Amino acid sequence: MKMKFHWFAEATYPHLPDDFPERGLSSWVNTPRELMDPVKVGEMYHMFIRLMQQADRDGFDGLAVNEHHQTPFAMTPSPNLLAAALASTTQNAAILIIGDSLALYNPPTRVAEEMAYMDCVTGGRVIAGFVFGTPMDSVFAYGNPPPELRDRFHEARKLIQRAWDAKEPFAFNGRYTKLRYVNTWPKPVQEKIPIWVPGSGSLETWDLVIDENYCYGHLSFSGLHSAKPMVDAYWDYVEKRGGDMNPHRMAFTQLICCAATDAEAEAKYYEAVRYFYRMNTLQPAFTMAPGYTSIRSQQAMAEHIKNSPGLKPEDRARAQKGEMSFWEYDDKGYIIAGTPQRVRQRVRDLAKDLRIGQLIGCLHMGDLVEEVAGENTYLFGNEVIPHLRDLWADQPDYWTPKVSQQRVAARAQAASAAKVAAQ
Amino acid sequence: MIPGRKTVGDFDVRVWTGGAGSPILYLHGWEQHPGSAPFLQRLARTHEVIAPECPGYGTSTGFEHLHDLQDLILYTRELLASYGKGPVDVIGHSLGGMFAAELAIAAPHLVRRLVLAAPYGLWMDEHPLPDAFVLMPDALAKAQWHDPSKAADETSAFDPAAGDSAATYRTINLTTASKFMWPIPDRGLTRRLRYLAAPTLVIHGESDGLVPPVYEEAWAAGLPGVKTLRIADAGHVPMVEAEDAFVTAVNDFLG
Repeated sequence: MKMKFHWFAEATYPHLPDDFPERGLSSWVNTPRELMDPVKVGEMYHMFIRLMQQADRDGFDGLAVNEHHQTPFAMTPSPNLLAAALASTTQNAAILIIGDSLALYNPPTRVAEEMAYMDCVTGGRVIAGFVFGTPMDSVFAYGNPPPELRDRFHEARKLIQRAWDAKEPFAFNGRYTKLRYVNTWPKPVQEKIPIWVPGSGSLETWDLVIDENYCYGHLSFSGLHSAKPMVDAYWDYVEKRGGDMNPHRMAFTQLICCAATDAEAEAKYYEAVRYFYRMNTLQPAFTMAPGYTSIRSQQAMAEHIKNSPGLKPEDRARAQKGEMSFWEYDDKGYIIAGTPQRVRQRVRDLAKDLRIGQLIGCLHMGDLVEEVAGENTYLFGNEVIPHLRDLWADQPDYWTPKVSQQRVAARAQAASAAKVAAQ
Repeated sequence: MIPGRKTVGDFDVRVWTGGAGSPILYLHGWEQHPGSAPFLQRLARTHEVIAPECPGYGTSTGFEHLHDLQDLILYTRELLASYGKGPVDVIGHSLGGMFAAELAIAAPHLVRRLVLAAPYGLWMDEHPLPDAFVLMPDALAKAQWHDPSKAADETSAFDPAAGDSAATYRTINLTTASKFMWPIPDRGLTRRLRYLAAPTLVIHGESDGLVPPVYEEAWAAGLPGVKTLRIADAGHVPMVEAEDAFVTAVNDFLG
């Protein structure tokens, strides 16, 4: 099975004042709401829907949506809303919901119902991402006591899977959810909805994806060099535990900036890339909470970083402040930019280096205008993806829906036949 | 005060004990057990002091068996009963104040008098408590102390020999605290106050920015007959910042 490429963007509010970072404001949890114009938010949502519909036509394998709360960085409080809009207006790509923050749904059968709804509407194109949610989202915005978050997640996860599989109504007596009659309508089209679980290095999450053979996701936005220590440590851990080393069960996010020439890429994307990083002014107090990460995992993460430091802290700080040049962002791995030829090679190297079979490309970032994001989508879909389909082709992919695989392949065949005919 | 360990059911906890006289159970605050603190030693001159560490703090185990506040209170009741002392006086500081009040409600036969110092547990919409977990060190010190330089006088139960770093010790402690304080340190004590029969003294440090003295009003509203006392030049840790005033107030009240 071929390597997969999914279209994604953080739905970032594009109209923050330029001096937002200098004002010392937080971009998460308590960002002043007076900075937001809801009419413009509506326009933004429409733009993302149009771009993802285009991605569906342009050969992407999946359309990825995510969940965040109380932040202009990603204004998608319910990924299922955006996913539902795409489910009923696209034909080929998987709907990659990456994912629902399970601890935040009460009762979590809501997730089972809504994902089943989308699986029905799409004829079986749903990928179910289950996430813990960042500390900002799950423990600050939504108030979960940190030591309960994982428990709540696992209880919900088991309930949802059982709700999908059940042949008849069952009673569920959980610690957090008690339901006398679990019997969700609709039920999914797929016999087994593929499940993905992203993480940021917690050993407990690694154990989970190994034990359940889920697809794991390292969803950072700082690229190869920054992620390499953790991703390498992950694969070492999988190997040590005798887990499945199939690259199709590893997803990674990467900012992509494609243009006709390298110079054009710089001219078109540089300010948007800077906006993406500069405006995400996380406050340290909200990025961690006691008990969110176990002591065991904290120690393991510190060890990975010590053994293989990846990016220097001062580079990370400069990237965050928008102080890198366009090509330094590219060089350090934050973005992959340039002509389709250049992007192809860099994505190939990245996929091999990190052993990734599912690339979640961020084809829109920051305050990028729609026209450029559309061009990015077109070039990546038509000039990059077809040239990378040989990657990991010898490995089975159980983590992408069969229906979307078939439809995307059929669309690619038709596109290449049309190209030949045109020549 | 002498450190030791005690096992009660699923819980194995550290306990500091010392002194002789009418017994006092001391329940520590949200950040940590104070170890063999000077104020405990002074109380031990006239009392037998039993000061357990809450499960989930330091090296005290059993946190995973605490699904909710009731589990903790029933465990504490069993711990106290295991000493076979009959009714004892209970002092609860900060988060330990919430636990002490709940214990007095759940086990009136085991609690004679109650002293609550800067207690969590109540909530006033018109005076929302600050989120203690997001305050950065400087802001936290300012909220917690009348004179932040006094923080250096605070004793601790941190034991480097246990193998944890100071940072890990703090994370362990605050993880447990968050179970009962996150996102709002109110687990329903207000509606249960009517069952609190033990004579109660509520102490606030005048400069406490975490649990400000205005909370006296909430205690008085829920607990007619409560005695309240403000200690000058003290914040959230009056037993350290104003040791004399604190010990005197406790001894006067307990008699």
